[in-house]
Amino acid sequence: MGISTFLNTSVGMYVVQSFCHSLVAAVLVDRALKAWKIYDPLIRQRFRLIVILFPIFSFPLYQLINPARSSVFFRMEALFDSSRWLTLELGWGVPVGVLFLVMLGATSLVFLFQELIPVLRHTMTPKHSVDEGTHFDAGTFVQDTAKVLAIRKPEVILIDEEEPFLFSATGREAVIYLSSGLTRVLSSEELRAAIAHELAHIARSRRPLLVALFLFRIVQFFNPVVLVKYRRAVRDEEKICDDIAVALTGNRGALAGALKNFYQKPDKKHVLSSLQSSSANMSLEEYSHNLHLESRIARLETEPAGPEPDPLAPFVLTLSAVVLLNYLIV
Amino acid sequence: MKKQLSGIAAFVAAVAILVAALLLANWAPLALQKETLRRYNSIEEVRAALPGKVIYVPSYFPQQVSWPPSKILAQGKPFQASVIEFKRAGSDEAVLTISQAEGPFNTDRDIALTTVSEQVQYIMKGRTAALQVGTCGNGEPCSRMSWNEGNSAITVTMRSGPFELTRISESMLH
Repeated sequence: MGISTFLNTSVGMYVVQSFCHSLVAAVLVDRALKAWKIYDPLIRQRFRLIVILFPIFSFPLYQLINPARSSVFFRMEALFDSSRWLTLELGWGVPVGVLFLVMLGATSLVFLFQELIPVLRHTMTPKHSVDEGTHFDAGTFVQDTAKVLAIRKPEVILIDEEEPFLFSATGREAVIYLSSGLTRVLSSEELRAAIAHELAHIARSRRPLLVALFLFRIVQFFNPVVLVKYRRAVRDEEKICDDIAVALTGNRGALAGALKNFYQKPDKKHVLSSLQSSSANMSLEEYSHNLHLESRIARLETEPAGPEPDPLAPFVLTLSAVVLLNYLIV
Repeated sequence: MKKQLSGIAAFVAAVAILVAALLLANWAPLALQKETLRRYNSIEEVRAALPGKVIYVPSYFPQQVSWPPSKILAQGKPFQASVIEFKRAGSDEAVLTISQAEGPFNTDRDIALTTVSEQVQYIMKGRTAALQVGTCGNGEPCSRMSWNEGNSAITVTMRSGPFELTRISESMLH
């Protein structure tokens, strides 16, 4: 099957148009966040949902509205006709569409090896279990905070490991795991802030938006724009939980201090200096992890800006622009 | 309120820039590759731009069809294809489309059979064509004739019964 034959099938058109639609949506959402100066991670995450969810449904929806949308007549009058670029031959006779498909193939592999397989592996064989560690006594803090968040008090398990880590398992019985190494490097205030952050994750997991989003996201496994935006939505989730933790503890500095202990270096030992973290020989993943940590720390160390405008009107306007503009992109 | 309004202004400006960028991106391939699908003003212009391309045009036109064609689209890459649309005489309504393509080429817009009530094989000048009779979207009688001519699939669709359609189709072959 030639490239143009594939691009004219329903699957081909779905793949190409969902990519184009997500790209346009991403540009519009980014501009909207800047135009209305929206910094609240909760609202930013909602805007990103447009980029992740809309391209799943856009092509079938538009075809339902106008079945003639895939005809050459419509393409000629469209704002942007992707087939012009995809069938454009490069100097050595290879159409741009081949490079486009290679890019989608590479994205699919990234999704498979960096997201799907790790998620499945993590779901089937959790890294730690309750039996591995001992109960950690955090005083009444966990119970009191759980009460404020209206969740059942989770078990806090201490694992005897030097590497500092802290995470929560949000199953039927939520559990917070932390390493003994972490308890040695954090002050009691920092430890409370870090645990409050995990409690926020547990509270938010009662409405598992990201899990639902991930299931939708699987449909767009080939789409690099959705890949990037889904990861940003996950990062927004961390910032949302930071905000909840700060609201619970009232101590921004403590959480920022706790986060500084999670910088990664190639040797996996924690360091405290952000300058050291960007040194050479660091994998892209570690570098990205540190960048994200730096942005969270910087955010916590800066006083919050004043109240943001009501996000409803910007959201509706952005969504309308995405829907209308993408109708003319084939 | 002031923040909301300045936000709207900034966003509208961003949308305008994006639209301009998309228009530019849509035009660029036309400048880079002359065989890309584009609109032509006449069949002679197509023949001059895409030399070697055989374009089948009927020599018979019923009075209801207006000449010259109202729309001509053609491409040389990734495969040869063209579509010619004619309006009804004295009206703005598309009444006849003739498409020929060496690959998948969807021309169903202005005239598209939405229901097919009858389909028969029709032999014309040594070719076996598929003749479909039915209705278009608004319930108006429509018919379509399709056959292969060399590597090209030719489809003639008309807003009328099959009688005029077969005469037009036969007049395209010599």
